[in-house]
Amino acid sequence: MSEMKDIVNAVVTGDEDKVKLLVLEAINKKETASDIMNNGLIAGMNIVGERMEAEDMFIPEVLLAARTMTAGVEILKPHLTDTDSGGLGTAILGTVQGDLHDIGKNLVKMLIQGAGFNVIDLGTDAKPEDFLEAAKANNATLIGMSALLTTTMPMMKKVIEAFESAGLRDQVKFIIGGAPVTQEYADEIGADGYGHDAGSAVRIAKSLVG
Amino acid sequence: MAKIHSNQPTLQSPFAGKITEAQCQKLYWACLEILERTGVCLYEQEAVDLFKKAGVPVDGNRVRIPAGLVEKAFSTVPKNISMYNRKGEKVMNAGGNESYFGTGSDCLHIVDHKTGKRRKAVLQDIEEGMRVCDALENIDFVMCMFLPSDVPQATLDRYEMEAMLNNTIKPIIYVTTEFEGCAKAVEMAEIVAGGQEQLRRNPFAACYVNVTTGLRHNEEALQKLLYLSGKGLPFTYIPSAQGGVTAPMTIAGTMAVNYAGALTGLVLSQLKREGAPIIMPGWGGNMLDMKTTVQPYADPEKRGQAIDFVNYLNLPTFSLAGCSESKCVDQQAAAEAALTLFTDSIFGGNIIHDVGYLESGLSGSLSQLVICNEIISWLEAFMKGIEITDETLSLDLIDEVGPDGQYLDHPHTIKHFRERWYPSIFERSNYDGWMKKGGKDLGQRATERVNKILEEHEPEPLPKDVADAVHKVVVGK
Repeated sequence: MSEMKDIVNAVVTGDEDKVKLLVLEAINKKETASDIMNNGLIAGMNIVGERMEAEDMFIPEVLLAARTMTAGVEILKPHLTDTDSGGLGTAILGTVQGDLHDIGKNLVKMLIQGAGFNVIDLGTDAKPEDFLEAAKANNATLIGMSALLTTTMPMMKKVIEAFESAGLRDQVKFIIGGAPVTQEYADEIGADGYGHDAGSAVRIAKSLVG
Repeated sequence: MAKIHSNQPTLQSPFAGKITEAQCQKLYWACLEILERTGVCLYEQEAVDLFKKAGVPVDGNRVRIPAGLVEKAFSTVPKNISMYNRKGEKVMNAGGNESYFGTGSDCLHIVDHKTGKRRKAVLQDIEEGMRVCDALENIDFVMCMFLPSDVPQATLDRYEMEAMLNNTIKPIIYVTTEFEGCAKAVEMAEIVAGGQEQLRRNPFAACYVNVTTGLRHNEEALQKLLYLSGKGLPFTYIPSAQGGVTAPMTIAGTMAVNYAGALTGLVLSQLKREGAPIIMPGWGGNMLDMKTTVQPYADPEKRGQAIDFVNYLNLPTFSLAGCSESKCVDQQAAAEAALTLFTDSIFGGNIIHDVGYLESGLSGSLSQLVICNEIISWLEAFMKGIEITDETLSLDLIDEVGPDGQYLDHPHTIKHFRERWYPSIFERSNYDGWMKKGGKDLGQRATERVNKILEEHEPEPLPKDVADAVHKVVVGK
């Protein structure tokens, strides 16, 4: 559908007004909300995620695209059923206890929301029990943890241990990231995935729960 | 004949500037406006209370500082701080345009000179790094270089301090994760100096303090500032807003935000104790690389203008150079190290750190450090003034030797040939000569020097009872 292609382009170029218009037009033309969501808006954000990972797109442009996509989703909301959005399940994101850095986590949140995850954001300084409770309450399948400091990184291990103690380790997948975090550390603590930048988060998250 | 000359201005060094005094003034007034109009948030009650006591309007933890208070602070803050080595000898001036070079701290990884591979850093890397710094002629002070992954992580900064104290006599700039570590570092330095008063009079150690942003001052940064100011011990106070993220994208905007914060630190230090020695940041216009989210150390646009600015303010400066985004000791590493060292030297950087940094501060390398040592040597020769005098023009000599004569074995040449710069590890042989020596590249020759230093150089150790007392502090008595 050429309308879908236009929606995709409008998301990628961050043209909020155009997206809103095109989404409305598509609704009026009786396109399904699910189609607009998956082949228009989410498809656009997937391209954004790929180009960001390839260092082909600047962060402010990525954020603009994400804002544009959110604007499109707002228009679509009254027409969406429960199965249309959050199709990839619920993810709990947080910056671990003792750490206040959140820019990377916020980028990941926007990108995986764009990809179709329903995201609960615990914010910064999130304790292991916060992750556990949010996962239980929301039937989450993905837990994403971020840390910028070498001194707070060890909390990631504590969160995974909390899930093990509660007998919930097998019900979720853990992805971790942040400047001092490495694949080596992810392997050491038994995390399921590690991304070296926000752009790779979408690809990795989808591969874990898809 | 009386040798009388008039109106003979000469330069004793190259002269460079990136912004004018008028531009500096505009930036300074912008900082003052931010402080009065927007104010800063201070996440430590004692700091807020000191401002309250000084009659400054306070809104919760948000403080709006009047320009007059900043001007007053300038009248008591030292414009020059004498820094000493571990033996109590004066070796540096924090203040003015003399350039001193040192390493950076806390790199997570090391590009191992023995294997060329990147690995997690350990305590032994710090010990070896300090021995290399102790030996290198053009390294004047040290920071710990590496983050030791093989010690208790909650107290790693004590181990860093101990390794520096034991393996070099050069002045130390230490970094700690929390306030407690800073107090312990001071305790260790006082033991080595022989007492509180001795350390205060002849400081051989200064604390490097980072602040979240110019307008947002975190608790542990303020705690360290207040503690060190109270004790009259020197420290750097470095707000770290990044353009496009926590400050405006434009260079001037980022500088205004960060320097408003540096001036806040200045005022607070003088409110705590008049005459407290504080060192200002000398780089400005930090940005986040918007493609890779890395903070680039060798970004060309953050060089020069901050040094002009701090010279305008006439305060001791802490700047950075000899650093690279490269992940290995390659051509980019050498180019970025040389470019950044060059700009800091020519603009008058004062206490210059991060020499030898790779991977934007996440990896260190002893070979890269040796390469930087050579670059600094080159720069020392470059920065010397040229004498154009009767003596150096040697016109009588030129006439004596005549058009067809030669100078190679002339006494004048014998007398002067050692005045010119010669490289230690930069290669100048002709091709065959180079091949005969093994045809090695710069990285290999630098590594050879690292190995030689580690084999041969023994830094002066601490007396055993002092080393033991220091160790007791590290392990918590």
